Amino acid sequence: MTVDLRVNIAGVEFANPIMTASGCCGYGDELATIFPLSKLGALVTKSITQNPRLGHKPPRVAEATMSMLNAIGLANVGIDAFVTDKIPFLNKQKTKIIVNVAGWSIEDYTSVCARLNDIPRVDMVELNFSCPNVESGLEFSSDATQMERAVRAVKNVFSRPIVAKLSPNVTNIVDIAKGAEQGGADAVSLINSLIGTAIDIETWRPRLTNNTGGLTGPAVKPIALAMVNKVHNQCRLPIIGIGGIRTADDVVEFLLCGATAVQVGTALFVEPSAPVTIAKGLADYLKRKKISSVSQLVGKVVRH
Amino acid sequence: MIRIISEDVTLIAKRDLHNNYYSVALGPFSRAKDCRPGQFVHVQMPNGGVLFRRAFSVASVDPKRHAIEIIFRVFGRGTRALGKLKKGDSINILGPLGVPFAQPGKKEIAVMVAGGIGFPPLLFHAESLVKSGFNPKRIFFYYGGRGSADIIERPRIKKLGVTFVPATQDGSLGQKGLITKPLDSFLAANAGSALRIYGCGPEGMLKAVNELAQERRVAGQLSLEAPMPCGVGICLGCVVPLTNGGYARVCYDGPVFNIGEVAL
Repeated sequence: MTVDLRVNIAGVEFANPIMTASGCCGYGDELATIFPLSKLGALVTKSITQNPRLGHKPPRVAEATMSMLNAIGLANVGIDAFVTDKIPFLNKQKTKIIVNVAGWSIEDYTSVCARLNDIPRVDMVELNFSCPNVESGLEFSSDATQMERAVRAVKNVFSRPIVAKLSPNVTNIVDIAKGAEQGGADAVSLINSLIGTAIDIETWRPRLTNNTGGLTGPAVKPIALAMVNKVHNQCRLPIIGIGGIRTADDVVEFLLCGATAVQVGTALFVEPSAPVTIAKGLADYLKRKKISSVSQLVGKVVRH
Repeated sequence: MIRIISEDVTLIAKRDLHNNYYSVALGPFSRAKDCRPGQFVHVQMPNGGVLFRRAFSVASVDPKRHAIEIIFRVFGRGTRALGKLKKGDSINILGPLGVPFAQPGKKEIAVMVAGGIGFPPLLFHAESLVKSGFNPKRIFFYYGGRGSADIIERPRIKKLGVTFVPATQDGSLGQKGLITKPLDSFLAANAGSALRIYGCGPEGMLKAVNELAQERRVAGQLSLEAPMPCGVGICLGCVVPLTNGGYARVCYDGPVFNIGEVAL
């Protein structure tokens, strides 16, 4: 039996629902030494900002129980170097390219996305709203009105689909998802990392120089699943599920909860070829269940 | 392009080197022959509760058995589980990763400076140099530790025919004090010779060697250690600041860096 792993989000067809999560594979060049990127549904780049950023001082990472704390600080080459140095490599890759964009003002997002609009190779942008908005003092990610305004502004300069990446550090993630929908987002991806910390009990100092960091990895998966399901039930946008995915079984859970596709992040740091194993495992699951297309799983969780 | 694939290998030999140090031989490993001194393998800890792999420098290669040796000290959760592995147990490794040591010039004197568990890559480097025909009389092996139990595998070093200079903080072996003391005397005495330093050890030692070498205008390389989630350059977690500004990834741009390159 052949199974169809293709999924479609906002008119873009992906070979399979497995994407890399932003910040977990750079711009793809290192990962391409591990496996051909054509095995991915999409490569999601590291967050690109208007100016290059060195990132936070080390230590930037700490391991917690079945999870990782990171405060990399959006280290990236900036949009100019991304276009000149990284796009030529991405042009040769046989996978969809989603460029993640971060900023501190609406102008930051629109200027980067306007540049990306001129590069047809960029299939989608994913907006990382985890930074505080320097203009309003509010985080885009925790205020539905801010989210709506930012997405709408990007919509005006970027003609292809836009994904809004949602933070779990909010009172009600559905409100923010609806803000993104109002602004014209074509999909939402969730969850971004949870805010966490870890303390060295000898020195009494946090184990990250930034004091806090983003918590990711297997430990966050149940939270992510619940949020994906909540957004799926109350918002019409397609969902890209993110949070602690390591195996094909994890992917099935996310799809059943309402995700159309998923992103693999922290698992890449444990097993860089994880997406390949996961995609194969997903096909095996569908065969075992005699399901012809992966999209038939989306949102099919049977509630008690 | 060689694709790096993680592999399940078998623990084919294990030696207790005392004081919580162990040597294990892992194989068959398809990439064993490709491992160069200074490179590391990223090892999945056998304890399922430890998420990230741990990096271990390759200590030697057995080409006949397609095996590699790693030497580690039981220190935390991961290495404790690793220390409990028995002959025949399976373990998943990824590698070889990272940039290896550069070769010394034929006329140069290679000065290894090892501190504690920073010793394995320098053992591999010295052994490889001798095997490739480098005159062992041109290799000086400085090795420091807290006490004599930290200076492991002494017969192997001596067998190479190199000049072995230990130092311990408690004076139980070699000169009493830090290894940088006899090293500095050596550098001063050989100021006119073409020397090349290779260092690996705790941060304090690396910092001292880095400064000493620059003061004495001796070139060389240091192998760094850092908490390293991915090992393949994608997480940006293990960065160190560079003297010229910016950061470098220990796993991908290193772990071997030129003296003076990193702001230690």
